[in-house]
Amino acid sequence: MFGARLFPGGIHPREGVNGKAENSANPIQELPAVSRVIIPLSQHIGAPATATVKKGDHVLMGQVIGEPAGFVSAPVHASVSGTVVEVGNCKLASGATVPAVTIDNDFKDEWVELHPSEHPENLTAEEAQQIIRNAGIVGMGGATFPTQVKLTPAAGKTIEKLIINGAECEPYLTADHRLMLEHAGEIVDGVRLLMLAFGVKDAVIGVEENKRDAISALSDAASGIEGLRVQGLPVRYPQGGEKQLIYAITKRVVPTGGLPIDVGCVVLNVGTVFACDQAIRMGIPLVRRVTTVGGLVNNPGNFLVRIGTPVKALFEACGGTTPACKQLISGGPMMGISFKDTDCPVTKGTSGILALGKESIYPEETSCIRCARCLDACPMKLAPSRMDSLIRHERYDEAEKAGVMNCIECGACTYVCPAKRLLTQSFRMGKKVINTRKKAAAAKAAAEKAQLAAEKAANEKEKKEA
Amino acid sequence: MPKKDTFLGAFLNGLIFENPTFTLMLGMCPTLGITTAAMNGVGMGLATTVVLVFSNLFISLLRNIIPDKVRIPSYIVIIASFVTMIDLLMSAFVPSLRAALGTYIQLIVVNCIIFARAESFAAKNPPVQAIGDGLGMGLGFTWAITLLSCIRELIGSGSIFGLRLMPEAYQPMAIMNQVPGGFITLGILLILVNVIKAAIARHSRARKEELA
Amino acid sequence: MQRHLTITPSPHVRDRASTKNIMQEVCLALAPAGIASIILFGASALKLICFSVLTCVLTEYLYQLIAGHKSTVGDWSAVVTGLMLAYNLPATAPWWIPVVGGVIAILLVKQLFGGIGSNFMNPALTARAVLFISWGGLVASYPNTLYCGGVDTISSATPLALMAADPSQVSFVDLLLGNVPGILGETCKIALLLGGIYLIIRGIIDWRIPATFIGSVFVLFLLTSGFNFELALKEVFAGGLMLGAFFMATDYATCPLSRLGRVIMGIGCGVFTFMIRAYANYPEGTSFAILFMNVLTPLIDRYTMPKFFGEVKKNA
Repeated sequence: MFGARLFPGGIHPREGVNGKAENSANPIQELPAVSRVIIPLSQHIGAPATATVKKGDHVLMGQVIGEPAGFVSAPVHASVSGTVVEVGNCKLASGATVPAVTIDNDFKDEWVELHPSEHPENLTAEEAQQIIRNAGIVGMGGATFPTQVKLTPAAGKTIEKLIINGAECEPYLTADHRLMLEHAGEIVDGVRLLMLAFGVKDAVIGVEENKRDAISALSDAASGIEGLRVQGLPVRYPQGGEKQLIYAITKRVVPTGGLPIDVGCVVLNVGTVFACDQAIRMGIPLVRRVTTVGGLVNNPGNFLVRIGTPVKALFEACGGTTPACKQLISGGPMMGISFKDTDCPVTKGTSGILALGKESIYPEETSCIRCARCLDACPMKLAPSRMDSLIRHERYDEAEKAGVMNCIECGACTYVCPAKRLLTQSFRMGKKVINTRKKAAAAKAAAEKAQLAAEKAANEKEKKEA
Repeated sequence: MPKKDTFLGAFLNGLIFENPTFTLMLGMCPTLGITTAAMNGVGMGLATTVVLVFSNLFISLLRNIIPDKVRIPSYIVIIASFVTMIDLLMSAFVPSLRAALGTYIQLIVVNCIIFARAESFAAKNPPVQAIGDGLGMGLGFTWAITLLSCIRELIGSGSIFGLRLMPEAYQPMAIMNQVPGGFITLGILLILVNVIKAAIARHSRARKEELA
Repeated sequence: MQRHLTITPSPHVRDRASTKNIMQEVCLALAPAGIASIILFGASALKLICFSVLTCVLTEYLYQLIAGHKSTVGDWSAVVTGLMLAYNLPATAPWWIPVVGGVIAILLVKQLFGGIGSNFMNPALTARAVLFISWGGLVASYPNTLYCGGVDTISSATPLALMAADPSQVSFVDLLLGNVPGILGETCKIALLLGGIYLIIRGIIDWRIPATFIGSVFVLFLLTSGFNFELALKEVFAGGLMLGAFFMATDYATCPLSRLGRVIMGIGCGVFTFMIRAYANYPEGTSFAILFMNVLTPLIDRYTMPKFFGEVKKNA
């Protein structure tokens, strides 16, 4: 397959009704604006943005309503023009309560004054980072890590290779697929601009082989651009995992505990690159994204939706869920979060909203039969059954040694488990406990060190005095 | 559980509550090795009891004289003396049983029940209680391994004390006469003992709650 | 909209395979050998299989009832154990042999060690070993088939014993079809191969274990017999090797987890089988070889865990 290498493990998760096959034929349609949007100020990993508007303010579309608080943070922009009715809290699909700004839409769609870059092809790295940061762009595959942080390598490290993630390996999701088909030109342009700005000579757009039309669309758009190529990838979940993707394309292995930049790579989602292109060329901040609505809905589709739109508007646009629907998922079925409250808003990381039937409800857990399917499925080459039993016996130190911190929570082991064990869930819990303990240990060590230093100082003082 | 500082208390403690086989898990070597016939169990148990009573008595009497640093060799001298006596007596009066028990009689010298009681009880308590403890532990060991050997003999040879109890058609299960059979039987007995113990604990807890 | 919605942790799709499916497929794969045994040894084979399976299922049910555990009879694993146990008995065994064996397998080896997935040795093989030691005369006899002397006649020599003298005494076709003295499940190699290959294709067992197991036995006999190809090939097709390699050594609970571990398991089984067959005075070594490797499994697991993806040598 064009020389793409297969990462270890992996699975072929099954699709259900209105999965990739049906939904990838539905063009992106713009979801009509709703009368009230709730825009969370924490849509990214890192510190939540601080609100810059107050109740009663009139805001324009694209206006900054939240300033980033710290380096790993991102600004938030209004996705409609209208009046701020509340600066308070809202609940996300994950159940977390975060600060949010609620805006009543005046349906005028008045844009704030946009500042397209005057010399998009001659940007310096700093300028590009600034534009991306100001546009509030975060990883749109779902991880929502602020993009400009990724593009600011630590001292001594350089970006050798830009890898654009078009794998979209989760079942059901077709948003990236449609985006690649309909906006191949913009995506390729975005990659080119980033390459120019950051002096990267080599960029690869990786797309799973089941999206042949997207591969050819991107290849057409990319022809003639030096250093950029489109690579077909084997269809295998989790092909879109950063480490797996880097391995498939470059055969480089990101060391345990390391970042892609340690092997000279930066991985960006196609949606993120599209947003970067929009920001550089037109000055448009990230206020909309493409989201798939699939599964047990009457008319599935791919929607261009404003950030902050309540999820129920998407379901209404799809004609509602079918009676067989038992569970709602934000994200893909493998790594997404199930939620109940359809008032929660679409965020920058919402790659899909799915309605799944009773097959998504967990069957009862039974004893591990040691079939070792989880070992074969794990893309990180861990031993899930072993780690699970260690964690359930609260032997966290051994679990850490067995590699639980390397788990990427892709869910492949849980998918294949014939005993239906909640492996991924157990690892999440184990990682949390281990992290908490580490923090506590570090705090204790620091306190002891401080005390020791204080004692030493006191001793010396005494000596001097004596 | 009775107090261990009286003769009766120490006796009952060894016989039941801290049974060397089922609770302390001591003396596993003869327990697994010789319990293929009921008679062996009784013989081994009684031989051990005699040694245990006398060694406990003498160690208790000498407990303030024996220097701490050489107490283990001293114990061995005392124990080995009684084992030799028992060995010679058995050879004289019950030669067939003596032959059946083989080297296990001499191995009483290093039987951990005797050492454990010497170290943890006789060396710290006066002679009367020490005799009680030795008698209790010894008889506790005796009934435990006799029970074990009855079961093994019944299944492995179809008889108890040489008396055929199983019908003619019964085909003895030969593995019971070998060491694996000892492990299996002991394991199952331990499960039963633990089940009974848990039931008693539950019962007494419930009664306490009733009273309270 | 919010009617009957549930919240569960990800992933939200699961593979269809379940413990029950897997066990049912193993039963299906064992079926040809069972049918072959009934054809070869007649009604007594059917009787033993029925007694064995019923005892295993009943023991599991009763134990879990008494112990207050949730019943796992529905996962079919007891049926698999029952079949495997029956396949390891000669057609001449009395009815109570599989009954005692079933109780030992399920109660002693499986349930007392924690039920499915927790037993440290293969239940059916352990039961067979206990029966073998206890009633050697009844369990270690190798009756002739209906087509070669009749079940009532006990063969003086198994194909393995005959071959030790002269390999040409045993016909290869008889070995394949199973028309040779032996225990129920082991004789018909075509049926066993059929079932084994089915399991490999369905991804239920790892091909590494049977391949390395059978391969190492073949190679060792080839080397030690001065490249006597006929002998080595017939050694592979005689005795319980196929049954053991495809169905016993691959038992999930008692074989290593990692791929490397499974290769070690297969080679270990092969080496021990060869050693027992060639140098010990037992006629057949497969089951003891597998039991031995079963006990080594935790050790093999410990040293053959795969290296993490991205694990690098610590420079510190």
